[in-house]
Amino acid sequence: MTVWLEVEGEKRRVELPGEIGAGSGAVECLVDGRSIMADVRFLQAGVLSLLIDGRQYRCVLDGDGVVIGRRRFGFEVADPRSLQGRRGAGAGTDGPRPVKAPMPGRMVRVLVEVGDEVEEGQAVVVIEAMKMQNELKSPKAGRVVKIAIAVGDAVGAGDVLVVVE
Amino acid sequence: MIEKVLIANRGEIALRVIRACREMGVATVAVYSDADRGALHVLHADEAYRLGPAPAAESYLRGDLILEVARRMGADAVHPGYGFLSENAEFAEACAAAGVTFIGPPASAMRVLGSKTRARQAADAAGMPRVPGSVTGLADVAEALRVATGIGYPVMLKAAAGGGGKGMRAVTRAEDLAAAFAAASSEAERSFGSGEVYLEKLIERPRHIEIQLMADEHGSCVYLGERECSVQRRHQKVIEEAPSAVVSEDLRRRMGDAAVRLALSAGYVNAGTVEFLVDDAENFYFLEMNTRLQVEHPVTEMVTGLDLVHLQLRVAMGEPLPLTQEDVRLRGHAIECRIYAEDPENHFFPSPGLITRLIQPSGPGIREDCAVYEGWNVPLDYDPMLSKLVAFAPTREQAIDRMLRALDEYVIGGIKTNIGLFRRILMDEDFRAARIDTGYLERLLAEGVAPVLEDVPEDVVALAAALFAASARRETLAAPVVSEESRWAVAGRREGLRL
Repeated sequence: MTVWLEVEGEKRRVELPGEIGAGSGAVECLVDGRSIMADVRFLQAGVLSLLIDGRQYRCVLDGDGVVIGRRRFGFEVADPRSLQGRRGAGAGTDGPRPVKAPMPGRMVRVLVEVGDEVEEGQAVVVIEAMKMQNELKSPKAGRVVKIAIAVGDAVGAGDVLVVVE
Repeated sequence: MIEKVLIANRGEIALRVIRACREMGVATVAVYSDADRGALHVLHADEAYRLGPAPAAESYLRGDLILEVARRMGADAVHPGYGFLSENAEFAEACAAAGVTFIGPPASAMRVLGSKTRARQAADAAGMPRVPGSVTGLADVAEALRVATGIGYPVMLKAAAGGGGKGMRAVTRAEDLAAAFAAASSEAERSFGSGEVYLEKLIERPRHIEIQLMADEHGSCVYLGERECSVQRRHQKVIEEAPSAVVSEDLRRRMGDAAVRLALSAGYVNAGTVEFLVDDAENFYFLEMNTRLQVEHPVTEMVTGLDLVHLQLRVAMGEPLPLTQEDVRLRGHAIECRIYAEDPENHFFPSPGLITRLIQPSGPGIREDCAVYEGWNVPLDYDPMLSKLVAFAPTREQAIDRMLRALDEYVIGGIKTNIGLFRRILMDEDFRAARIDTGYLERLLAEGVAPVLEDVPEDVVALAAALFAASARRETLAAPVVSEESRWAVAGRREGLRL
């Protein structure tokens, strides 16, 4: 089975043998064409032990990431075409930029109005979550073109709250 | 005799109290809000009762509802844990009036020692050194200016009913005092329902060291050593340890004696903690008294070998303390890390949500007081504390290394946590050398919280990710395609229902 991935922003191609994790010892896997002999064992759902050259790696699946040792690496399963399409998109300071809620919470203050000019890093809204009030800042200098929420609203993680153009 | 205890709290402290009760053969009643129906304290209690919606003001802070549950369930005592109603003298009084034992100090002692200004007057009366400043609440800015000029800048404004860093402002110049006074007072009003603030001299680079007390109603009071709580962020403790690396036998005895004097003078009973600031010259100054069990009590339990919640229950039953000051022996070193659902790399934003993965540390010398599990949705309505990880070892150095080892074993997936921050602190040279004061963590954070990372070959990461992706794909292919309707039909057949 061939798996196309983007790991920490890098495109990777991994070829896996058909049968894995049966306890038969090391199997050959190819990462970007390089051969790795790995003894693979799924210990429980989302927890994997990899033995490579005698070194043990405890790998834990965490949402869209894998935790190995103390580090978490984000990854995405993808095919090569879709990866090419997304390169370069979303970056830069041109065009509208949203201020998104980094966590769920409740809107307690809106510090700007539509049409206001804001500086990069200027606080635009305050969300309360877990007994803490958190200021969210503008990602760029520009003009507020949209306010998508009102004081008292519940917000979800990733919700667009304000748009600065 | 107490036979059934209602635990008026949630989270790890509720579970902690339930466990102690069970060990002592005492039945337990949990209370919960709608956000906590699936919480571990509900699961572990003998009985559980819904209080109301998620906001604390409509559930865990409803003393009237809690007492009603106690009456209905036949609970003869209430343990308040920490936070919520634990330092609420009216609630303690209401318990007494309802014939329910409040497992904590009497309301009268709480009134004296729970208010910071009244406690300062009591400390003066008990001959305890305290930070120079106003003993009573300040009437207005003019009085604040007068006091500040008298003791000299820098000064600290503090809420009389405060806690957790709320209503506090440091002021270095007279011209900033008026604005800081207004800000501290309004924050205090919002947080504690009282805008009263007082002012004291800001001690430069102090350590925050506190003495744990236990007193019975027969006039005995012992101190159980000290805890070093200098590692703080925004006046909130992050790491606590016992004993303090800088407290000598002599200083411990002097602080302990002073704390006991204060408690006895106020008629204090049950567990309490006297907080001090300590300077380089081993001078100590009374800060405030916490009239409840504290978050950091486990480090004292580890070095004294005592179970403080057991003692709380025995004292509440009217038993005399089973030990004298001479019986208190400290051994080894304990460190506690407060594991929070927050993101140190992104302004410490809170991070509530689903815990998708939980691998808890264990092994020699590790204790974890925790109330979360894999699949638990950390609600956004309460404090972000997930667990308290405690490492115990014969020496401080070994306890630090043990804690680092435990942190390496710990995996909490799905949400952000401050585990990486603890690695950063525990590997810091100044922390390891115990060169800490209450400003230590802010200085360290100013250097950034770049996580301490080890090398993992890129190919191994890619391979692991691919294996998880492939296994998920296999599971998807293997699972039968079932629509929502037919799943209900299957369940219905299994349950013998007719659909």
